[in-house]
Amino acid sequence: MKRRRFLSSMAVMLPMAVVSTEMFLSSCNTTDTKEEGFTEANIQLLDEIGETIIPATATSPGAKAARIGQFMKVYVTDCYDADQQKTFWAGINNIKNKSIEKYNRPFPKLTISQKKEILNSLLKEPAKAIAKVKKGTGDAIQTGKEAQNKEEKPREFFSMIQNLTVFGYFTSQPGATKAVRYIQTPGSYKGEVSYKKGDKAWAT
Amino acid sequence: MGNINSKGTQANTFDAIVIGSGISGGWAAKELCDHGIKTLVLERGRNVQHLVDYPTMMKDPWDFQHRNELTVKIKEENPIVSKCYAFREDAMHFFVKDKEHPYIQEKPFDWIRGYQVGGKSLIWARQTQRWSKYDFEGPARDGFAVDWPIRYDDLAPWYSHVEKFVGISGNKDGLETLPDGEFLPAWEMNAVEKGMKKRIMDHYKDRNVIIGRCAHLTKPNEIHLQQNRGQCEARNLCQRGCPFGGYFSSNSSTLPWAVKTGNLTLRPDSVVHSIIYDSAKNKATGVRVIDAHTKQVTEYFAKVIFVNAATLNSNLILLNSTSSRFPNGLGNDNGLLGKYIAFQNYRGTLSADIDGYLDSYYYGRRPCAVMMPNFRNVYKQETDFLRGYMVFFSAYRSGWGHSIEGDQLGESFKMSETEPGNWGISMMMQGETIPKETNRVWLDKEKKDQWGMPLLSVSVDYDENDEKSLKDFLTQGAEMLSVSGCKNISTNDSRQAPGLDIHEVGGVRMGKDPKTSLLNQWNQIHECPNVFVTDGACMTSTGTQNPSITFMALTARAANRAIEELKKGNIK
Repeated sequence: MKRRRFLSSMAVMLPMAVVSTEMFLSSCNTTDTKEEGFTEANIQLLDEIGETIIPATATSPGAKAARIGQFMKVYVTDCYDADQQKTFWAGINNIKNKSIEKYNRPFPKLTISQKKEILNSLLKEPAKAIAKVKKGTGDAIQTGKEAQNKEEKPREFFSMIQNLTVFGYFTSQPGATKAVRYIQTPGSYKGEVSYKKGDKAWAT
Repeated sequence: MGNINSKGTQANTFDAIVIGSGISGGWAAKELCDHGIKTLVLERGRNVQHLVDYPTMMKDPWDFQHRNELTVKIKEENPIVSKCYAFREDAMHFFVKDKEHPYIQEKPFDWIRGYQVGGKSLIWARQTQRWSKYDFEGPARDGFAVDWPIRYDDLAPWYSHVEKFVGISGNKDGLETLPDGEFLPAWEMNAVEKGMKKRIMDHYKDRNVIIGRCAHLTKPNEIHLQQNRGQCEARNLCQRGCPFGGYFSSNSSTLPWAVKTGNLTLRPDSVVHSIIYDSAKNKATGVRVIDAHTKQVTEYFAKVIFVNAATLNSNLILLNSTSSRFPNGLGNDNGLLGKYIAFQNYRGTLSADIDGYLDSYYYGRRPCAVMMPNFRNVYKQETDFLRGYMVFFSAYRSGWGHSIEGDQLGESFKMSETEPGNWGISMMMQGETIPKETNRVWLDKEKKDQWGMPLLSVSVDYDENDEKSLKDFLTQGAEMLSVSGCKNISTNDSRQAPGLDIHEVGGVRMGKDPKTSLLNQWNQIHECPNVFVTDGACMTSTGTQNPSITFMALTARAANRAIEELKKGNIK
């Protein structure tokens, strides 16, 4: 029985509203925010973002050890369509901007809790964006809604970067073999084995 | 007329020719070669040798550039085959690319093909169930298609014959609707599936929930060891080709066996143009082959020809085999060649969650699901649609990537993602469809492919019966999931085009009467009895079962008939 998991199934991971594109276009008053493309600096940034989402822990390495930035370079370039790539870079640039705005330092130079705060703020953003619009007239509310629905296929950026990190990590050698259980050749199938909380899932 | 190049003709003459090296062609070759018949197998695609030509069989997920996903470019270039669940980085090389093999979709039809030695036997899903007597009686009882010229009892010994060699795992469940076979030990159900089985069977007295039957060596017998095949190791990576020969394919099983007899000649890269018919001798005498690379045409000769090019290709070859005797295709006096094409209805699926069982997990990757033989209209017509469907389902614990509450990043998020989540269930249908004259294929009069072969036009569609059958499945499926204690039940109609089931059959149907069928009870073309058609093209109806094991049994039976007829001199 074939079941495709990942991306399509993970799109419903988060209980949050659509992130408005309006928010991405505001307050771009810093340097180096519009640079796109998988430069060395951007790949390092992606490593840091990935590591914030899936950090190294006592028993297993994090996304950085899985070279998550390099994975995203290949995957986003080859497997994302134009719309998805647009959303991806808008989101990356937004993270860069927020880091400077809030802490006056680039994301890779933040503390762990600051990095978490920046990424978690993406989950809260939509409510603020809607509130901003509501202060205006009825037209503004309509415009806000239009802005929110502007994208034909709304992409939740956090969900996207989370998906990429999780997928890239758990299909990597360190992720599959150290964080969960990977066995290329099980040898047999047993329908019932006992499970206790904390036992790791199968990687495939 | 004398032979201009008698030496050449002799070198190109065999006792038998088999067109196609896939799941049924391999069987024709094995049976014929086993009985001393010098056999030429023609395969249009490249050679794929067992083990040697399985480049991805030992790869890990991180060995694939895109972790086994498809790129945008590949999907754009292959809009049809990229819909197939098995078309991924690890097995793409065993599928036909859309651009290389065009065809004409008069109505949407996803034609999924594997053109290489072994054909789709390399990439098939390996699920196998015998037809029951009720399936063979279907057309006659319900008044569609034509009566099958055989019954279950005619095929039963041949099911046994092929099952023993192939290696089929399953339980002897003692069901009339799905006869038991020659079985190796069955795969296990998990805890949730066992619970569901009990609740469903307690609730519905006429429904059965059993473990899937499939072509996997759970415990090889001597005959399998003789084939140099070993135990299935529960990897479920079969479409890559198996390092253990754990599942059945022509490549691991029937073809090497035929080679061992010394009677097999295998010619890959051989596109069959047509079967040669000799009006003076009133028989087919050979096959015209276009070399796939040089485009050179060569003729091969034989007393017996087996057509196993896969359903639509067999139709194409026969339609293209015209002569003064058969202006509309070989054996096609009644004009029915290419008509009554049918498929299986895969549109309906359900998913659900179930609470509990959190102290249970599984080990290994089982290559089959749980199944329910058809329970609709079995003994008599009862619903507002004809025939029925098989149900397949499996329960699983969600792995990494599942939705979780709480922190969406950091250590606790990572920890949650490394543990299995709650149990979920996936359920699908495999519905019988009614063959109709209007569902058909034919040769385009102008357009040709790179070998000069006419393009095939396909006009096949769902009908009202399929819609009702689908609706019934979704209703019954939801009810059974509810009865099993599931929640969050959702139904889906994929609206997929016919063809994506990869179970298309018909066009050269078997029947008692040459006026309404193309083949007799031995799969011989009525009007040209030294030509046998034993792949999916021969099927008079579709049944609800996965068809390949039936193709294999029909082939073995027909091949042994051909051998007898050759020995008696009835075919010469």
